[in-house]
Amino acid sequence: MTADPTRPDILVVDDEIQIRRLLRLTLEAAGYAVREAPTAQAGQAELVRRGPDAVILDLGLPDESGIELLRRLREWSPVPVVILSVLGQEDRKVAALDAGADDYLTKPFGSAELLARLRALLRRIKPAVAASRFRFGRIEVDLAARRVARDGAPLHLTSMEYALLQLFVAHRDKVLTHRQILRELWGPNAERHTHYLRTYMLRLRRKLEDDADFPRHFLTESGVGYRFVSEPAGT
Amino acid sequence: MKIPRIYSQLAHGPRGVGGRWKSAADEAGWYGSCKGPLVLVLTADFPPGPGSPPAPGREYWLARPASAVRELAEVTAVVLGIAFAGWFAPVTYHVFGYVYLFAVIALSLRVGRWPVLFAAVASAVVWNYVFIPPRLSFSVLDFDDSLMLGTYCFAALIGGQLTARIRAQERTERQRERRASALLHLSRALTAARSFDEAAAAALRQADGLFSARTALLLAGETGELAPHPAGSYPLTAADAAAAPRARHAGVAVGRLAHPADLAPALHVPLRRAERALGVFVVALPAAVRSLTLPQRDLIEAFAAQIALLVEREQLRAASERERRLAESERLHRTLLDSVSHELKTPLAVLRSAVERLEAAPGGPTTVLTAEIRTAAARLDDTVANLLHQTRLESGAVRPRLDWCDPRDLITAARRRAGDALANRPVTLEIEPDVPLVRTDAVLTEHALANLLLNAARHTPAGSAVRIAARCDVVNPRLRLEVGDRGPGIPVERRRDLFQKFQRGPRAPAGGLGLGLSIARGFMLAQGGDAVVSDEPGGGACFSLLLPFAEPAEVPDDDR
Repeated sequence: MTADPTRPDILVVDDEIQIRRLLRLTLEAAGYAVREAPTAQAGQAELVRRGPDAVILDLGLPDESGIELLRRLREWSPVPVVILSVLGQEDRKVAALDAGADDYLTKPFGSAELLARLRALLRRIKPAVAASRFRFGRIEVDLAARRVARDGAPLHLTSMEYALLQLFVAHRDKVLTHRQILRELWGPNAERHTHYLRTYMLRLRRKLEDDADFPRHFLTESGVGYRFVSEPAGT
Repeated sequence: MKIPRIYSQLAHGPRGVGGRWKSAADEAGWYGSCKGPLVLVLTADFPPGPGSPPAPGREYWLARPASAVRELAEVTAVVLGIAFAGWFAPVTYHVFGYVYLFAVIALSLRVGRWPVLFAAVASAVVWNYVFIPPRLSFSVLDFDDSLMLGTYCFAALIGGQLTARIRAQERTERQRERRASALLHLSRALTAARSFDEAAAAALRQADGLFSARTALLLAGETGELAPHPAGSYPLTAADAAAAPRARHAGVAVGRLAHPADLAPALHVPLRRAERALGVFVVALPAAVRSLTLPQRDLIEAFAAQIALLVEREQLRAASERERRLAESERLHRTLLDSVSHELKTPLAVLRSAVERLEAAPGGPTTVLTAEIRTAAARLDDTVANLLHQTRLESGAVRPRLDWCDPRDLITAARRRAGDALANRPVTLEIEPDVPLVRTDAVLTEHALANLLLNAARHTPAGSAVRIAARCDVVNPRLRLEVGDRGPGIPVERRRDLFQKFQRGPRAPAGGLGLGLSIARGFMLAQGGDAVVSDEPGGGACFSLLLPFAEPAEVPDDDR
């Protein structure tokens, strides 16, 4: 476990030794340095010893919930955190995301998916030159001029639709919970008004997606929130 | 209980004063020895001594209005007694005016108003007839005598009436106090009891002592049947057993003491709390008791009300206890399911990731073998997931999280979930442009819809078309999510059992547990929806998920 300054350092906190071993294999093959912790306490110690570049955190740890560890971590560090959860635990996922996790993976997950999420997270901490122009699909967004165009033809967005788009572009490839979006756009009192969001998402998709009935960029994360993907896989 | 009470107390009297009054003054701790014949003793309550009677309020219960005949007889006896005794007394006839005045007021302490009135008039007549000379004849009165007789009459009338009124007030006051004391004693006993059974027994024993009766308590069970509480001291007769439900349903007391024609020997009082009769309080009085006075009836009803309160409290406690146990067992169930789920899924996840790594590694083992492992792991994964879902459904551990969803999202997610199964099929989407948002658990509904898609993929010829639709039922407002296929269709007689678990079609390909449709329907039922099957127009089967509509609140608009 030598610290190689060129290799991103990933901390895996999971109580299953097989999962840890597999993650190590997958991540090391992809060029990451991996540290492991089997419990929340050990994870905490590792985090304090040396800050990693990203954390992969299982929610079901033997000594305490992963969410607790995450909350404490968020008091002093913005390090990207990917949580691992099992299907049907949408409540816990949402709670973890609201507590500051950056993304989640549902077990069983493919290694390609894991690596893609990690790449997106690590890219965000070292952003390229903040471009004022941004492209996805046939859409071009000029953030400085607040202009949106499809195939060069200007597209009219209402102020709320534009604010929504701006939020997604700022957090591209990252999952945003309903609560996060609602709070950002409509204020803390609107956190429960999911139907606002559904309605505006449909309008936004109708304007920006090629096929609003089968969106490729503005993806729904069931029971959790939305994720904006600028370059969908398979394009 | 510091209620001041008024005793009208006759301190010294030559005769005819009951010992009862004397003892009352003794107890009160103050004995009037004033000059006048009439002394009012004002006192607070008796201090509750350690040797207080076992059933306070008993005097109240036993107090019965004296009969008018008896009181008249008493009055006549006193008036004539004085006449007889006075005959031999060597005093002038004037003295008897005072003696009679005294007697009338003394009588007013014992008898009602009308007998006192009678006493005043009778004594005037007797005085005249017997004592005013000439004796034993109605005398022609001279002016002095008629003045004396007239004054006497007025004094006797006023004095007698006033005393009788004070006595009546005192009597009411005393009754009220004794009633309160009986009920206080009861409620104290109920509070002191550590369990419902103990409290019920205490209440019944108090009732036994107070009413000199045998009592029983019938409680309505969960089925609505009345069952006797073991603390009862009165074994119900057949007539009583029939009367108790009548009392409960009518909401009023039933029995021979309530209606003379009633056959039930005991009095059945319903235990009412807020329009609901929780049971029946049965009081069997001695056969000698032919009727009840209003205060007696009132005290029994008050007892029944206290017991009803007790029963209601017990029922609420039992309900909250049941609730707690249920929650506890549910929590255990869920924990068990969660850990089983974790234990089964983790190795599968490891297996899949390992195979993926193997396949990716250059120069690895033959891909045929790894592909076999991958297929097997995926199948095992599906089976485990299905079994866990079915178990969750059956144990009631599925708790829908309802939120607003766009039906388009549900369809997209279900298609993604169905994955490769629909890869080589033409899929047509029919989504009504103005299809509204629905309130549903997105994860459950997607899962159900994906199960319908997988079902279609599995049971229809490869490459045949699949139609996915979202539409509104106008007549019965709800959303339909349809999956139509071009397969052989489902015969009408099979449709009923189709959504049962472990049902597999006769021509179904090997593999699969037959849980997919059962889970789909279970997930819909859990959130107030349903799953049905019908004919697809043009041949094939059409499976639909039905979701109830709810009008979403307004969405703030912006047109800028």
